[in-house]
Amino acid sequence: MKELLAQVNEIFIDVLDNEDIVLSETTSANDVDEWDSLSHIQLIVAIERHFKIRFTSKEIQSWNNIGEMLTSIQDKLNQN
Amino acid sequence: MTSEIEYILSKIETDSPIHAKKLKKNFAFFDEPYYDFTTPFLKKYLALLASENKTLDFAVACYLNMIADMNSETVAFFRTGKYSSTTFSEVNERVYANPEIMEYYMHGLLLSQFLWKHHYDSFRFFYENLPKYVDNTQNYLEIGAGHGLYLNKALSVFDEKTPFTVVDISQTSIDLARKFNTNNKVAFVVKDIFDFGDSDTFDFICMGEVLEHVEEPLKLLQKLRKMLTSGGTLFLTTPTNAPAIDHLYLFNNVQEIRDLITEAGFSIESEMEFPSEQASPEKIEKYKIAVLYGAFLKVK
Repeated sequence: MKELLAQVNEIFIDVLDNEDIVLSETTSANDVDEWDSLSHIQLIVAIERHFKIRFTSKEIQSWNNIGEMLTSIQDKLNQN
Repeated sequence: MTSEIEYILSKIETDSPIHAKKLKKNFAFFDEPYYDFTTPFLKKYLALLASENKTLDFAVACYLNMIADMNSETVAFFRTGKYSSTTFSEVNERVYANPEIMEYYMHGLLLSQFLWKHHYDSFRFFYENLPKYVDNTQNYLEIGAGHGLYLNKALSVFDEKTPFTVVDISQTSIDLARKFNTNNKVAFVVKDIFDFGDSDTFDFICMGEVLEHVEEPLKLLQKLRKMLTSGGTLFLTTPTNAPAIDHLYLFNNVQEIRDLITEAGFSIESEMEFPSEQASPEKIEKYKIAVLYGAFLKVK
């Protein structure tokens, strides 16, 4: 999960254009200023491209924090 | 802020904190005229909900269902660069003929009129310019009136003797517009605009967010050109890059809309662009952020 977190952190830095972002599994949108409804979609698409996975509509709506997002990514990678 | 709006925002914040962040940014821009317009309209809406034994919680749930659909459509749009539906029959089967989806979609869109800055700004552009057209308007047509907000405003601006016609292809939409506007001088008609004859002409036609719902927007504009009297005015709005479950025609940028308007034989009298997010023009282009375009048009 640590390696996954580091990769997702890099994606957040790139998409949100903020080098100071340090994510943990408990980080939520309330903790990151630039993480709003628009950037959420861009993050999803960037994560999908990076890991070569596809989320379902339900998954996109369901995450409350980074930990839940990482679990979804890990599940998808295990399925591949 | 009115207590109802506060309640709506707090409910959205609980159920969808990420979306609430965007709405809070919108509310930082809302001024007194916004509340002057919102308060009476919201009262009407609450009465309508109560008459159907529904609550504001139901309306918020509808709105969030619509947002979930839009998010899915937006992800698909970023993946493919296209809207997910391209034919009317697809959308008809998926949305218009599906009462459950239609119900939450109509209520969701209604709330978006209060909550989205670009919806409010385009409405303001409409009503601030409307008085200019009073002297030359003997009859008025609105196509796809939705919740009847624009219609309501036009009724208060134009002469009492001006006959009003509202046309929509959907009985559900006409029923909703009728509920919001009990004025008996309005003729509500369920009809395809292409079934109007050559003698059906109007001095002012209002068509908010319809072009993106049709397969061939050029044909629709050409039809409207024939339906306008010489010196008449068409007010329209339509968005660029706005994936939604019932949007068919993709405008990639505002210039594509202008080009279509010109090709259909109109000239642009005044126009405005309303981005759906507070972002720089560079960011709007890079991330294909939706922009709502509004214009008053004359026949060339």
